[in-house]
Amino acid sequence: MDSLYIFGLASQRTSYLAQRQTLVAENVANVDTPGYTSKDLSSFAEALDATELRMAQSQSMHLASLDGLSSTSDVITETPWSVKHSGNSVSLPQEMLKAGEVSREYALGTSVVKSFHRMLIMSAKG
Amino acid sequence: MADPLLSSLKIASSGLQAQSTRMRIVSENIANAQTTGTTPGSDPYQRKMVSFQSELDRVSGAQMVSVDKVNRDDSPFILESDPGNPAANADGYVKMPNVRMLVEMADMREANRSYEANIQVVKQAREIINMTIDLLRS
Repeated sequence: MDSLYIFGLASQRTSYLAQRQTLVAENVANVDTPGYTSKDLSSFAEALDATELRMAQSQSMHLASLDGLSSTSDVITETPWSVKHSGNSVSLPQEMLKAGEVSREYALGTSVVKSFHRMLIMSAKG
Repeated sequence: MADPLLSSLKIASSGLQAQSTRMRIVSENIANAQTTGTTPGSDPYQRKMVSFQSELDRVSGAQMVSVDKVNRDDSPFILESDPGNPAANADGYVKMPNVRMLVEMADMREANRSYEANIQVVKQAREIINMTIDLLRS
Protein backbone atom coordinates (compact mmCIF):
# COMPACT_ATOMS: atom_id res chain seq x y z
CA MET A 1 0.00 0.00 0.00
CA ASP A 2 3.03 2.31 -0.10
CA SER A 3 2.18 3.48 -3.55
CA LEU A 4 -1.22 4.86 -2.52
CA TYR A 5 -0.49 8.56 -2.10
CA ILE A 6 -3.87 9.18 -3.50
CA PHE A 7 -5.61 10.14 -0.27
CA GLY A 8 -3.00 12.69 0.76
CA LEU A 9 -2.91 14.12 -2.71
CA ALA A 10 -6.70 14.29 -2.93
CA SER A 11 -7.05 16.08 0.39
CA GLN A 12 -4.38 18.59 -0.67
CA ARG A 13 -6.23 19.06 -3.92
CA THR A 14 -9.58 19.63 -2.22
CA SER A 15 -8.16 22.18 0.19
CA TYR A 16 -6.54 23.97 -2.75
CA LEU A 17 -9.89 24.05 -4.55
CA ALA A 18 -11.71 25.24 -1.44
CA GLN A 19 -9.29 28.13 -1.20
CA ARG A 20 -9.79 28.94 -4.85
CA GLN A 21 -13.54 28.97 -4.26
CA THR A 22 -13.01 31.53 -1.47
CA LEU A 23 -11.13 33.78 -3.88
CA VAL A 24 -13.93 33.45 -6.44
CA ALA A 25 -16.41 34.46 -3.74
CA GLU A 26 -14.23 37.47 -2.83
CA ASN A 27 -14.03 38.56 -6.46
CA VAL A 28 -17.77 38.20 -7.02
CA ALA A 29 -18.64 40.06 -3.81
CA ASN A 30 -16.30 42.90 -4.78
CA VAL A 31 -17.54 43.14 -8.36
CA ASP A 32 -18.61 46.77 -7.82
CA THR A 33 -15.88 47.92 -5.45
CA PRO A 34 -13.82 50.73 -7.00
CA GLY A 35 -10.13 49.96 -7.38
CA TYR A 36 -10.42 46.26 -6.55
CA THR A 37 -8.21 43.92 -8.59
CA SER A 38 -9.36 40.34 -9.07
CA LYS A 39 -7.31 37.56 -7.50
CA ASP A 40 -6.61 33.93 -8.24
CA LEU A 41 -4.39 31.12 -6.93
CA SER A 42 -1.32 29.94 -8.79
CA SER A 43 -1.90 26.55 -10.40
CA PHE A 44 -1.97 23.38 -8.32
CA ALA A 45 0.86 21.80 -10.31
CA GLU A 46 3.04 24.82 -9.55
CA ALA A 47 2.22 24.52 -5.87
CA LEU A 48 3.15 20.83 -5.88
CA ASP A 49 6.39 21.35 -7.78
CA ALA A 50 7.63 24.11 -5.54
CA THR A 51 9.99 22.63 -3.00
CA GLU A 52 9.25 24.17 0.28
CA LEU A 53 12.06 24.65 2.76
CA ARG A 54 10.90 24.61 6.30
CA MET A 55 12.85 25.53 9.37
CA ALA A 56 13.93 22.47 11.31
CA GLN A 57 12.53 22.18 14.81
CA SER A 58 15.40 20.87 16.86
CA GLN A 59 14.04 22.24 20.11
CA SER A 60 10.57 22.54 21.47
CA MET A 61 11.05 26.29 21.93
CA HIS A 62 11.51 26.85 18.20
CA LEU A 63 8.70 28.43 16.29
CA ALA A 64 6.66 25.93 14.33
CA SER A 65 6.21 26.65 10.66
CA LEU A 66 2.68 27.47 9.69
CA ASP A 67 0.83 24.63 8.11
CA GLY A 68 -1.95 24.94 5.59
CA LEU A 69 -1.77 25.36 1.88
CA SER A 70 -1.51 29.13 1.95
CA SER A 71 2.24 28.79 2.34
CA THR A 72 2.60 26.83 -0.89
CA SER A 73 0.17 28.28 -3.42
CA ASP A 74 0.33 32.03 -3.73
CA VAL A 75 -2.49 34.43 -4.29
CA ILE A 76 -1.74 36.13 -7.58
CA THR A 77 -3.34 38.99 -9.43
CA GLU A 78 -4.84 37.35 -12.46
CA THR A 79 -4.83 38.73 -15.97
CA PRO A 80 -8.14 40.57 -16.21
CA TRP A 81 -10.47 40.30 -19.18
CA SER A 82 -11.45 43.91 -18.81
CA VAL A 83 -10.87 46.82 -16.45
CA LYS A 84 -13.71 49.20 -15.65
CA HIS A 85 -13.35 52.96 -15.28
CA SER A 86 -13.40 52.63 -11.52
CA GLY A 87 -10.24 50.49 -11.66
CA ASN A 88 -12.13 47.30 -10.88
CA SER A 89 -10.88 44.32 -12.86
CA VAL A 90 -13.44 41.65 -11.91
CA SER A 91 -15.42 40.18 -14.78
CA LEU A 92 -18.42 38.08 -13.79
CA PRO A 93 -18.27 35.63 -16.74
CA GLN A 94 -14.65 34.88 -15.91
CA GLU A 95 -15.54 34.24 -12.27
CA MET A 96 -18.44 31.98 -13.22
CA LEU A 97 -16.10 30.05 -15.49
CA LYS A 98 -13.66 29.62 -12.64
CA ALA A 99 -16.44 28.57 -10.28
CA GLY A 100 -17.52 25.89 -12.74
CA GLU A 101 -13.94 24.69 -13.01
CA VAL A 102 -13.60 24.45 -9.24
CA SER A 103 -16.84 22.52 -8.92
CA ARG A 104 -15.91 20.05 -11.66
CA GLU A 105 -12.45 19.40 -10.27
CA TYR A 106 -13.81 19.02 -6.77
CA ALA A 107 -16.30 16.44 -8.00
CA LEU A 108 -13.47 14.58 -9.71
CA GLY A 109 -11.37 14.61 -6.54
CA THR A 110 -14.13 13.35 -4.30
CA SER A 111 -15.12 10.58 -6.71
CA VAL A 112 -11.52 9.41 -6.96
CA VAL A 113 -11.35 9.23 -3.16
CA LYS A 114 -14.68 7.43 -3.09
CA SER A 115 -13.66 4.78 -5.58
CA PHE A 116 -10.30 4.16 -3.90
CA HIS A 117 -12.05 3.92 -0.57
CA ARG A 118 -14.38 1.32 -2.03
CA MET A 119 -11.37 -0.54 -3.38
CA LEU A 120 -9.75 -0.62 0.05
CA ILE A 121 -12.95 -1.78 1.71
CA MET A 122 -13.32 -4.50 -0.91
CA SER A 123 -9.83 -5.81 -0.30
CA ALA A 124 -10.36 -5.71 3.46
CA LYS A 125 -13.61 -7.62 3.30
CA GLY A 126 -12.24 -10.11 0.81
CA MET B 1 -7.40 29.42 9.81
CA ALA B 2 -11.11 29.33 9.22
CA ASP B 3 -12.60 26.87 6.76
CA PRO B 4 -12.34 28.46 3.30
CA LEU B 5 -15.72 27.12 2.17
CA LEU B 6 -17.53 28.58 5.15
CA SER B 7 -15.77 31.89 4.70
CA SER B 8 -16.77 31.92 1.03
CA LEU B 9 -20.39 31.62 2.18
CA LYS B 10 -19.79 34.57 4.48
CA ILE B 11 -18.20 36.66 1.74
CA ALA B 12 -21.07 35.95 -0.63
CA SER B 13 -23.60 36.97 1.99
CA SER B 14 -21.75 40.25 2.53
CA GLY B 15 -22.08 40.77 -1.22
CA LEU B 16 -25.81 40.07 -1.02
CA GLN B 17 -26.13 42.60 1.79
CA ALA B 18 -24.26 45.28 -0.15
CA GLN B 19 -26.28 44.74 -3.32
CA SER B 20 -29.59 44.86 -1.47
CA THR B 21 -28.59 48.18 0.09
CA ARG B 22 -27.91 49.42 -3.42
CA MET B 23 -31.35 48.20 -4.47
CA ARG B 24 -32.88 50.15 -1.57
CA ILE B 25 -31.19 53.35 -2.68
CA VAL B 26 -32.42 52.81 -6.25
CA SER B 27 -35.98 52.36 -5.04
CA GLU B 28 -35.70 55.51 -2.90
CA ASN B 29 -34.60 57.43 -5.99
CA ILE B 30 -37.42 56.07 -8.13
CA ALA B 31 -40.05 56.66 -5.47
CA ASN B 32 -38.92 60.26 -5.06
CA ALA B 33 -38.53 60.99 -8.77
CA GLN B 34 -41.30 63.62 -8.60
CA THR B 35 -40.71 64.96 -5.10
CA THR B 36 -40.42 68.73 -5.29
CA GLY B 37 -39.82 71.22 -2.50
CA THR B 38 -42.71 72.88 -0.69
CA THR B 39 -41.75 76.55 -0.63
CA PRO B 40 -41.21 78.68 -3.78
CA GLY B 41 -37.77 78.11 -5.36
CA SER B 42 -36.77 75.44 -2.82
CA ASP B 43 -34.62 72.42 -3.72
CA PRO B 44 -36.34 69.12 -4.55
CA TYR B 45 -35.21 65.59 -3.64
CA GLN B 46 -31.54 65.05 -4.47
CA ARG B 47 -30.58 61.75 -6.08
CA LYS B 48 -28.55 59.38 -3.89
CA MET B 49 -25.65 57.19 -4.99
CA VAL B 50 -24.12 54.25 -3.17
CA SER B 51 -20.43 53.30 -3.23
CA PHE B 52 -18.77 50.12 -2.02
CA GLN B 53 -15.49 49.34 -0.34
CA SER B 54 -13.78 46.05 0.39
CA GLU B 55 -12.99 45.37 4.01
CA LEU B 56 -10.79 42.70 5.53
CA ASP B 57 -12.50 40.26 7.86
CA ARG B 58 -9.81 39.67 10.46
CA VAL B 59 -11.17 36.32 11.66
CA SER B 60 -11.10 34.54 8.29
CA GLY B 61 -8.66 36.83 6.46
CA ALA B 62 -11.19 37.27 3.68
CA GLN B 63 -11.94 40.43 1.72
CA MET B 64 -15.61 41.13 2.39
CA VAL B 65 -17.55 43.95 0.81
CA SER B 66 -19.53 46.64 2.53
CA VAL B 67 -21.32 49.85 1.68
CA ASP B 68 -18.80 52.67 1.98
CA LYS B 69 -21.17 55.61 2.04
CA VAL B 70 -24.27 56.99 0.41
CA ASN B 71 -23.41 60.16 -1.48
CA ARG B 72 -25.70 62.75 -2.98
CA ASP B 73 -25.63 63.40 -6.70
CA ASP B 74 -24.65 67.05 -7.25
CA SER B 75 -25.75 67.23 -10.87
CA PRO B 76 -28.10 70.18 -11.62
CA PHE B 77 -31.84 69.84 -11.09
CA ILE B 78 -34.19 69.70 -14.04
CA LEU B 79 -36.27 72.88 -14.49
CA GLU B 80 -39.88 72.50 -15.51
CA SER B 81 -42.41 75.18 -16.24
CA ASP B 82 -45.37 74.74 -13.88
CA PRO B 83 -46.58 78.12 -12.51
CA GLY B 84 -49.37 76.55 -10.45
CA ASN B 85 -47.01 74.45 -8.36
CA PRO B 86 -46.37 75.69 -4.79
CA ALA B 87 -42.63 75.18 -5.36
CA ALA B 88 -42.54 77.35 -8.49
CA ASN B 89 -40.18 80.33 -8.39
CA ALA B 90 -40.99 83.85 -9.54
CA ASP B 91 -40.60 82.89 -13.24
CA GLY B 92 -42.94 79.91 -12.89
CA TYR B 93 -40.26 77.25 -13.00
CA VAL B 94 -40.17 74.28 -10.63
CA LYS B 95 -36.96 72.44 -9.76
CA MET B 96 -37.53 68.72 -10.33
CA PRO B 97 -35.24 66.04 -8.80
CA ASN B 98 -32.12 65.05 -10.77
CA VAL B 99 -33.35 61.44 -10.99
CA ARG B 100 -33.25 59.91 -14.47
CA MET B 101 -35.38 56.81 -14.83
CA LEU B 102 -33.13 55.19 -17.42
CA VAL B 103 -30.07 55.51 -15.17
CA GLU B 104 -31.99 54.09 -12.23
CA MET B 105 -33.24 51.14 -14.29
CA ALA B 106 -29.71 50.40 -15.49
CA ASP B 107 -28.43 50.58 -11.93
CA MET B 108 -31.19 48.23 -10.82
CA ARG B 109 -30.34 45.68 -13.50
CA GLU B 110 -26.70 45.83 -12.49
CA ALA B 111 -27.54 45.30 -8.82
CA ASN B 112 -29.75 42.40 -9.86
CA ARG B 113 -26.98 40.79 -11.86
CA SER B 114 -24.43 41.09 -9.06
CA TYR B 115 -26.96 39.70 -6.58
CA GLU B 116 -27.54 36.69 -8.80
CA ALA B 117 -23.82 36.09 -9.12
CA ASN B 118 -23.48 36.06 -5.34
CA ILE B 119 -26.39 33.62 -5.03
CA GLN B 120 -24.63 31.39 -7.54
CA VAL B 121 -21.51 31.39 -5.37
CA VAL B 122 -23.54 30.42 -2.30
CA LYS B 123 -25.18 27.57 -4.23
CA GLN B 124 -21.86 26.31 -5.44
CA ALA B 125 -20.15 26.44 -2.05
CA ARG B 126 -23.06 24.45 -0.63
CA GLU B 127 -22.72 21.91 -3.43
CA ILE B 128 -19.01 21.48 -2.70
CA ILE B 129 -19.65 21.04 1.03
CA ASN B 130 -22.26 18.40 0.18
CA MET B 131 -19.79 16.57 -2.03
CA THR B 132 -17.40 16.35 0.91
CA ILE B 133 -20.10 15.10 3.25
CA ASP B 134 -21.11 12.51 0.65
CA LEU B 135 -17.69 10.92 1.06
CA LEU B 136 -18.86 9.61 4.41
CA ARG B 137 -21.95 8.03 2.91
CA SER B 138 -20.31 5.74 0.39
